[in-house]
Amino acid sequence: MGPGLLKSADWPLLIDLYFFLGGLAGGAFVIATIANLLDARRYRDVVRMGYYIAFLAIIPGPILLIVDLGVPTRFLHMMMVSKPSLEIGMSALTVGPFHLKLLSPMSAGAWALLGFSVCAFLVALDVFLEDRGGRSMSVLRLVAGVIGGFFGFFLAAYPGVLLGATARPLFISAHWLGALFLVVGASSGGAAIALILSLLGSRARESLSQLMRFTAFALILQLAALALFIITVQMSGSTGIAQALAKLLAGPYSLAFWLGAVVVGIVVPLALQLGGGIKKAAPGMTALASALILIGGFLVKYVIIAAGQAT
Amino acid sequence: MARTLAMFTDVSLCIGCRACQVACKQWNQLAPEEPEWTGSYQNHAHFTDKTYRLVRFFEETDATGQMKQWHMMSDVCKHCAQAGCLEACPTGAIYRTEYGTVNINQDICNGCRYCVSACPFGVVAFNHDTGTATKCTFCNDRIHNGLGPACAKACPTESIRFGFRDELAGKAKQRVEELKKLGYKDAQLYGEDTNGALGGLNAFFLLLGKPSIYGLPDKPKLPQRNVIADSLLSIGSALLVGLGALVAFRSRDDKGGA
Ligand code: SF4
Ligand code: SF4
Repeated sequence: MGPGLLKSADWPLLIDLYFFLGGLAGGAFVIATIANLLDARRYRDVVRMGYYIAFLAIIPGPILLIVDLGVPTRFLHMMMVSKPSLEIGMSALTVGPFHLKLLSPMSAGAWALLGFSVCAFLVALDVFLEDRGGRSMSVLRLVAGVIGGFFGFFLAAYPGVLLGATARPLFISAHWLGALFLVVGASSGGAAIALILSLLGSRARESLSQLMRFTAFALILQLAALALFIITVQMSGSTGIAQALAKLLAGPYSLAFWLGAVVVGIVVPLALQLGGGIKKAAPGMTALASALILIGGFLVKYVIIAAGQAT
Repeated sequence: MARTLAMFTDVSLCIGCRACQVACKQWNQLAPEEPEWTGSYQNHAHFTDKTYRLVRFFEETDATGQMKQWHMMSDVCKHCAQAGCLEACPTGAIYRTEYGTVNINQDICNGCRYCVSACPFGVVAFNHDTGTATKCTFCNDRIHNGLGPACAKACPTESIRFGFRDELAGKAKQRVEELKKLGYKDAQLYGEDTNGALGGLNAFFLLLGKPSIYGLPDKPKLPQRNVIADSLLSIGSALLVGLGALVAFRSRDDKGGA
């Protein structure tokens, strides 16, 4: 009976959208950084597009978050308050008006969003100046790229950890949500780069096929994380688990889950890529697979959050 | 820190009169709400932004579905020693007072609603008018002026008692023994043990049966306990993703395969 008493934050679609874009931005950024470290010239297209996408995708982030707040003018309270209270939790670090609560993923996430945005802006600016015929400040790109890469991973994963640190029955014993959200960020980041490159008719066939190879790998991880999530929840045997899981797997959200998140988002694009598309990297095929990955990447986050929040 | 204050609710004394619920509304000036039909005397079904104190009614049935016993329990925020709401709150609006109680500073809360989903008991409620989260404060203004919370003052049977935690805990244990002698063999304390779940509850209860009869979780868990394990799994997957990217971009196109 316990779970019947629990309440839900009722985070709306705006938040799902932020989680999706944040993951996508983080994923695209990490891919660009790794490609840049390996061979900046050879992977120039991937690096450029990855950094541009990361920057553009993160711009709506703070706006979505602020709009959702009960008191939007107090967004900055996530990081600072003029008169902080003394005892605000066992994991709190305070310096003057600033605070960071290590065990509150929402607090840490707000800081990560700030850090990531700064790095994404710097790197995108550097790419932009280079596009305009200037010279890349490679040291800046390297440093901001690596630091931003860590923030990018964080940004992709923390919403899952945040959900896991609520009392909602579907989330509290899930443990794999952070990992799942992280790999979804990786697959959607890779897919976003591939989609744009193939639409632009990029000459870089080679990078495109390598990108698709990477997203195929990320999709396999995504499938594994999804399975581990369900198995872990199932085996926890906590109160209310059966009903919570049934909502996702057999109830009102099952269609979006099985058809949307699993078939459209993972199985079909994987089949498209493994069935030859990956070698030839035909732009049409790549674009289609990438678009499906993006749709699935949004749906998997949306459907898990919706099912977990439903009472 | 001053001596911890606590509330002890003895359900064996509750007569379901809801004087506490009314007193809470009056003192905290909480607006009226539409009554809710819950199928029993209970009104409302849940804590809301206008109901911080709620008398719950439960009908315990036996295996054949016959009514066995009628339970009443006046429920409230537990002011947990390890509070999910407080640990979740990203703004620091939720804080612990010198008496060990848990409060929400309405001038700091920005309405993110994380606390609402992080409370293991479904206590915190979001107020759409103010855009902030609210809950019982043990009547913070009263206890800082030497008055007990309004509910405890109003309770005519002393089912709700307020005082120093250590003293109340002693009385509670005695009362369990008395009840056991009277034949209530399932009488038990919930949340009294400071080594137990959530480090003990500063609003603890004497129940006449299993916690689940009262809709309470047997072993409430602090949701933030998950953060470290879940983060480690995330880091593991980040390493895999990074490795995958390295391998994918190192490979030559002509080799093919994933
Ligand atoms: S019962 Fe819920 S609202 Fe009250 S202190 Fe504990 S976690 Fe916070
Ligand atoms: S709604 Fe307010 S009190 Fe609750 S977690 Fe957010 S900022 Fe803190």
